[in-house]
Amino acid sequence: MAAEAEKKEVQVTINGTKISVPAGELLVESVKRLGLEIPIFCYHPRMQPVGMCRMCLVEVGFEQQDGSVRMMPKPQAGCTLGASEGMVVVTDSEAIHADRRGVLEFLLINHPLDCPICDRGGECPLQNNTMAYGPSTSRYVELKRHLPKAFPLSKYVTLDLERCIQCGRCVRFTEEVSGDADLAFRFRGAEMQPSTFQLTDFESRFSGNVIEICPVGALTSTTYRFRARPWDIEAGEGICSQCSNGCSVWIDRRSGKFVRISGRTNEDVNEEWTCDKGKFGHEYLNSTERATSPMIRKGDSLVPCTWHEAYEAIVAELGRGAAASLVGTRVANEGMWLHHRLFHQTVGSRDVDFRWTRFLPPASERIGSKLGSPAVQGTIAGLEEAKRIVVLGCHLAEDLPIVHLRVRKAWAKHGTDVAVAYHSPTEAERFASLPIRYRKGSEADLLRSLLFVAVERGATVPEAVRTGLDAFSPEAVAERTGLAPSAIRALADRCGEGCAVVASDALLDVEGASGAYQDLAYLCSATGSTLHFFPRGANSMGAEALGLLPETGAKDTWQIVESATSGAFHSLWLVETDLAELPEGSGALENTPFVIVQTTALNETARFASVLLPMAAPPEQDGTWTSCEGRVQRMKASLHPPGEAKPAWRIACDLSILLGGGTPYFGAAEVMEAIANDSPSFAGCVYSSLPEEGAILDLTPMPTAPLAQE
Amino acid sequence: MSFEVFRDVVKPIVVGFGITAKRLAHPKVTIQYPEERREQFGRTRWRHVLTRYDSGLERCIGCSLCAGACPARCIYVGAAENTDEARFSPGERYAHRYEINMLRCIFCGFCQEACPTGAIVLRKDFELSNYEREDFIYTKEMLLEPVRD
Repeated sequence: MAAEAEKKEVQVTINGTKISVPAGELLVESVKRLGLEIPIFCYHPRMQPVGMCRMCLVEVGFEQQDGSVRMMPKPQAGCTLGASEGMVVVTDSEAIHADRRGVLEFLLINHPLDCPICDRGGECPLQNNTMAYGPSTSRYVELKRHLPKAFPLSKYVTLDLERCIQCGRCVRFTEEVSGDADLAFRFRGAEMQPSTFQLTDFESRFSGNVIEICPVGALTSTTYRFRARPWDIEAGEGICSQCSNGCSVWIDRRSGKFVRISGRTNEDVNEEWTCDKGKFGHEYLNSTERATSPMIRKGDSLVPCTWHEAYEAIVAELGRGAAASLVGTRVANEGMWLHHRLFHQTVGSRDVDFRWTRFLPPASERIGSKLGSPAVQGTIAGLEEAKRIVVLGCHLAEDLPIVHLRVRKAWAKHGTDVAVAYHSPTEAERFASLPIRYRKGSEADLLRSLLFVAVERGATVPEAVRTGLDAFSPEAVAERTGLAPSAIRALADRCGEGCAVVASDALLDVEGASGAYQDLAYLCSATGSTLHFFPRGANSMGAEALGLLPETGAKDTWQIVESATSGAFHSLWLVETDLAELPEGSGALENTPFVIVQTTALNETARFASVLLPMAAPPEQDGTWTSCEGRVQRMKASLHPPGEAKPAWRIACDLSILLGGGTPYFGAAEVMEAIANDSPSFAGCVYSSLPEEGAILDLTPMPTAPLAQE
Repeated sequence: MSFEVFRDVVKPIVVGFGITAKRLAHPKVTIQYPEERREQFGRTRWRHVLTRYDSGLERCIGCSLCAGACPARCIYVGAAENTDEARFSPGERYAHRYEINMLRCIFCGFCQEACPTGAIVLRKDFELSNYEREDFIYTKEMLLEPVRD
């Protein structure tokens, strides 16, 4: 029905101009079509209108049969009134201006005018609206309301109750968008205040967003507090590199120093939201523990040296024996590709890997080569169109918070049926119509059993997969999974045409992962569901698409670590990898004579370095990033790398020249052109033609091992 | 002595000295700077001073409005939060760094106009020469008025 209403257009007259708008469209939105504006505080395009602030008052009337216009006796709230046939709207009359002045005067009665010390001052909707529509002076001489200033609502959010204008945006955000419903209004009237129940901490994965949507300075960021004023700030277009979601963000800097992250609108990825991991997780950029200068080992200590000395040492040592490389996922496509090429072609080692899950599918076992279709078959925005969503075996809000928001939006806005299966409570259970909690470690059994049910229902799977499937009926695995057979059957029934199955590579960490992820893939292909098997590492998808994987016969991450521990390698090259953090890591580092640590931070691993190469952090370099849905997005350099740090692509480029056989690149754009020449899927990603919202890679694998032949 | 010499040499000298002799009776305009100093006009705008309240607290709240108003972009303000143990100004916020690059300053006085607390004012000290370029960056310590007894 909603779709029908959207299609119907109605004629409305706005300030004397007739236009046709969708029936029911809110007047605040309709006037934008004419380039007009209705001032707002409480209205937010992504949330339900409530009409709390009364700032959006407009005069509304209706055309009568005889052609005259009958105006309503009182002004109406433009944010709650939908357009209907023959509506006449006046946004610019003398009476409306008087109303707006009146509303602002009321709002300012209790608003302290401490704009000079308020972090919102300069980018504050209340300031802007007062400047544009408000009275020029105050008539209020009485005592203002006094409430606690700078109340820490959580680790990240500071609440100044005096400044609150009670618009309810934050409360509605937690109820409608993030879904944790942590905030609510206490008390009534002038005393009304947003707060958590029982005055507990505001615990949310998305608390940072309320700072940005607050139309006044009531909710401000604790980390950004007093760091800068808006006119001190320059913003750079960035991509968040905390997880693989690839959210668009603004990277705000002051005098070249990072100050904060703000959400940047990208309808296809994060809309305008950020998660707390992204918004508050970039403080490392200002850390004093950053690697700033190349260092070389002299005896027991690492001493700073020049880039040339560091390169000389690497050139001298790399040829002396077997070499392997482990790459972290926080490296841009350009760096990944050049590093891979350097290692493959110049150094001549095939032992390169970027994956860090417990189980690492070998080349022939990957979903792509097994199924002939990619592991991620849909987009994040596409989840809204799914009829049903099954979140399987992952803590989605933890692994990919913004995908979780999209799943929740699909449920909240389109009524999508959501099923969740995980071993612990997750946020998604709150809205799932089928929440399932299996016993931890029984993922493999559950997936086998789901495949069993699918086959039972008539789905076809290859013979090799069918073998031994009969032992996994829901009844048989009930004990191990702790689930009623009916629950498993119900979950399996959700899969099918129009169903999006969302999982993360956390599934590769579980016991029996070697079978589990394949069963998941077969379950999806057999039932016709769309598989979204998202990797979690920032640029994992890019690394995979660029082939930064061991080929058949080469060593994968854990084999490299194991061999290094037994001293099989002469040199080990670690790119943005804190290997020493892993229990098996220090053994590998101790037993390798020559360790190259290419890193942004002076972490534990840096202590083992023979040569340390300082690397620029993601926002400090030009580059493209491939998100979990295969979207390649451009991140522009917003900050300067500390000291002498260089981007990964430049380090790889320098060394391939020194080792012989490399072509020099003069910018990241040139590297991307070379990538596009090398692999056709990146053809649309050259900087000159890459769209602002990014381009989705076609990751359909080459048909090497079709399903039927197995 | 010919007539020409009298007309072209002697007469101008005599006339010239005559003017000088007449002026000797006028009051003097020049002063013996730097021993003597002239009274400045009331609205003279020279060296900036960060003023204090009578209580000794700084007026500056680190709001950076002066930096925003500055057409030469020569002011840098770094703000921090007052605590009960270390209180510099009334309210929550104070300037822990306040710097003016006097080489770039054009003494327009917009900072003074923008200041919501009247903290930054341009006073009459005009002797701002120095030997090193770096010395023209006036720090908060240099700008801040000493505490009055």
